Amino acid sequence: MMLLALVLVPLIVGTLLFALPAAAQTLSRVIGVVASLATVVLVLAARGDDWSVRWLSRPFTAAFHLGLSGLSFWLALLLTVVTLSAIVACNASARRDLIAQLLFLEGTMLGLFLARDLLLFALFWDAMLLPVFFTLLARASHVTTAWRYFLYNFAGGLALLLATAAFGVLFGSTDVIGQAGVHVIGAWAPWILGGFALAFLVKTPVFPLHTWMPLTYADTPPAMVAVVSAVQSKAGLYGFIVIGLAFFPDYMKAYAGIFLVLGAISLIYGALAALAQSDTKRIVAYSSLSHLGLILIAIFSFNTIALQGAGLYLIAHGIFSAALFLVLGFVEEREETRSLTHLGGLGALNPRLAGALCIAALAALGLPGLAGFAGELLIITGIFQSGLLWAALLALIPIVLAAAYMLRLFQGVMNGPQRSDLPIRADLSWREGIALAPLVLALLALGTIPGALLQTVIK
Amino acid sequence: MIANPTTQVDWNGIAPIITIAVTALVVPFADLFARTHAKRWVAILIGGLGTLLAAGLCAQQYGSTGTVFGGAFALGGFTVVFEEIVLLALFGSLLLFATTMQERRVGGSVALMLWSACGALLMAGASNLMTVFLGIELLSLALYCLCGMNDRPASRESALKYLVLSSTASGFMLLGMALLFGASGSVALSSLTLGGLATSSFLWSGSALFFVGLAFKMSLAPFHAWSPDVYEGAPMPVTAFMSVATKAATLAVLARFLYAALPTGMSSAFLLPIWILAGLSMLVGNLGMLAQTDLKRLLAYSGVAQAGYLLVALAGTTALGLRYAIYYLVAYAIMNLGAFSVAAALSDEKEAGSALSAYHALASRRPYLAAMMSLFLLALAGLPPTAGFLGKILLLSTGVATGYWWLAVLLILGTAISLFAYAKIIRAMYARPDGKAQPELPVAPWPAMISIALYGIALVVMTFYPLTPSNIVPFVR
Repeated sequence: MMLLALVLVPLIVGTLLFALPAAAQTLSRVIGVVASLATVVLVLAARGDDWSVRWLSRPFTAAFHLGLSGLSFWLALLLTVVTLSAIVACNASARRDLIAQLLFLEGTMLGLFLARDLLLFALFWDAMLLPVFFTLLARASHVTTAWRYFLYNFAGGLALLLATAAFGVLFGSTDVIGQAGVHVIGAWAPWILGGFALAFLVKTPVFPLHTWMPLTYADTPPAMVAVVSAVQSKAGLYGFIVIGLAFFPDYMKAYAGIFLVLGAISLIYGALAALAQSDTKRIVAYSSLSHLGLILIAIFSFNTIALQGAGLYLIAHGIFSAALFLVLGFVEEREETRSLTHLGGLGALNPRLAGALCIAALAALGLPGLAGFAGELLIITGIFQSGLLWAALLALIPIVLAAAYMLRLFQGVMNGPQRSDLPIRADLSWREGIALAPLVLALLALGTIPGALLQTVIK
Repeated sequence: MIANPTTQVDWNGIAPIITIAVTALVVPFADLFARTHAKRWVAILIGGLGTLLAAGLCAQQYGSTGTVFGGAFALGGFTVVFEEIVLLALFGSLLLFATTMQERRVGGSVALMLWSACGALLMAGASNLMTVFLGIELLSLALYCLCGMNDRPASRESALKYLVLSSTASGFMLLGMALLFGASGSVALSSLTLGGLATSSFLWSGSALFFVGLAFKMSLAPFHAWSPDVYEGAPMPVTAFMSVATKAATLAVLARFLYAALPTGMSSAFLLPIWILAGLSMLVGNLGMLAQTDLKRLLAYSGVAQAGYLLVALAGTTALGLRYAIYYLVAYAIMNLGAFSVAAALSDEKEAGSALSAYHALASRRPYLAAMMSLFLLALAGLPPTAGFLGKILLLSTGVATGYWWLAVLLILGTAISLFAYAKIIRAMYARPDGKAQPELPVAPWPAMISIALYGIALVVMTFYPLTPSNIVPFVR
């Protein structure tokens, strides 16, 4: 029951927020913080739980089956912590609707990561698009962005839906996630895997299905994009691990070449594109494309070390990209621009802000001692061990490039002469510091003692 | 042969139909004596009570079996389920009279709609060709009049178009029935099931013409061309009723024919044209939605596509498929009624809520209605957390399980196309106000608001508690 509460609390609280008057911004933020704090506590308390109720018995068996263990636990913990940080980071101008949508996003994604049933997985897969879609719609100048986000991801969701139905008919049950010994074989199996893979590739995203992503990341409010880039982008990779690797191992191996090439292209292309951007959020968006391409390669190298590295790096990337987007959001709120051509020299007057951006950027470029390093090291070791020498060598290039674009980002915003045309605002406030604190602590903890996570994240 | 009807009278069997018919007689009388400003609510109240009573009587017959009136009308779960869906459509449509249509015309319209519902109820249980035709004509005749009940020229045009085209379709159907009669020598559907008829050319050609008539009533492509014009011109409650009740009743006839009345040993190739039309409808309907600027026209095209979806469940004619078709039909009835209810809540006699431009920036003026409309549109598109999502899954799995995977793929394609159209409305509703002066929105009465909430709740609950009736195998003898 605790798991059911975990999914329902954000959804119900989010719905109730709409009963408040639209002007009650402070109250809705307080309620949002309390609700998201409650989900963090629930995730920690409910670790290892399992809850199931029958849903369908025909045409295939399906259940409301939720479970919290392994990778699910770590992703759920990441999600709840990032949501808490994001809501704390919302400033006084954040509208009631944004808090409610953040809670909806949290609830639907918790449902996705907790789902132990493919049909439930598909339900939350589509449902988690809606909060972002409605938030983008509410920002009038970005209707095209909303459109593109929704249509790309919904098309992927439809492929997932068809694949789920076919899986259910073929296997007789969709209550299979996390179960050993489920192997789908036969003439239909590659097509079903294809349906799942299409949805996962769009969501991650992977070149050439990524074109919705830079727009979405740039136009979504900072608090929400932190959650989307940190956690929603992991849904596809999570799907590859718990559905692809678990149920279709033979076909994953047979078609690995396609995914390795797509991953490699994303890896290089994302890094190069990040170097060329002048919009701060777009730099991080393209760096995500690059980092997630690396994880995709790790998954398709079928090596235990690489896979564990992928699990670690999934979480690490979630934390540092959330931190980056939140800090860049603070910068945007203060200076009312995201453009590197206008920004500059903020570091002298805002040392705390500069420090926060510095830690997040260093974690992103894989500095030893921070979370990104351990994951990258394991992934490259694993890829090398599995014999994919070309992929291991390719993977080194964007690590070098990451240093270049992350330092360019930091220098462009914080260093250099002070710009006279930028408004001068106060440094990082207590509230903003508290929002970032759990993320920074997690970056340090994962960078120095990743063992606790590695032992449980992927068996 | 038909037995002498008077010897086998079982009035209980048709009690719901009689209730509706009596209500249809009471309403105009009450209308005569009601005070001028009470006419609207008197008609709705009496009609609604009659509908509820009929629904109660109908539910009692769920377990009964056999036929009444010499095999003309079959009882049982199948009939009851479809009758209840028709009554749901009737009740929901009656509520729409609360805001739309001129007060002095409400009484007559309600009475006609009740008569129309009688025809639909007859179709739900019809087990010989005469009853099928009687039901269809009763349904249609009342609808012809209802379509012309508004003062707008479009309304007259709608009535005339519907009359001419629908009569033509009825002609086809009647010829088909005559051929079927020629094949078996009886109007009873049960007499068609003889194995020897499987190769009869009369049966083949008769069934084809019969199906053309049904496809017209169900607005399957390419027999759908009438529906956008007729839906647009007809008064809003009538459109709502037509879009749900006509589809439900026709589906009942078609399902009974497919499941119970085909000769044993019939090859599945015989039915292939039906599934091809289903696939075509999904594409034509969803593509047709894209360019619409009127909600009723948009929902007409949506109805074409949804009729195609429904048939995916019947492909393969499995008992399970029929259950899912009924599940999806109920969901479709609720989402359609919901969308029309929101449109009616934004309308007065002039039906301003029919134009899609009325939905621009609705969220800032009527947040509740905008949210509920989004829910209904998401349901039509098949997104969670609505019954549309689970319905799609059930249809897809039936298509895959029975080997009609190409229908499943077309369903997915059609859904992808439809999303543009539905999401366009949502986008408009959540757009910022553009500063232009908008016409004052009417304030809808509380029953309308409550019914909208109930539709929404029902759609969400149905997702998580999928009640598909088990006792619904249609029979003809």
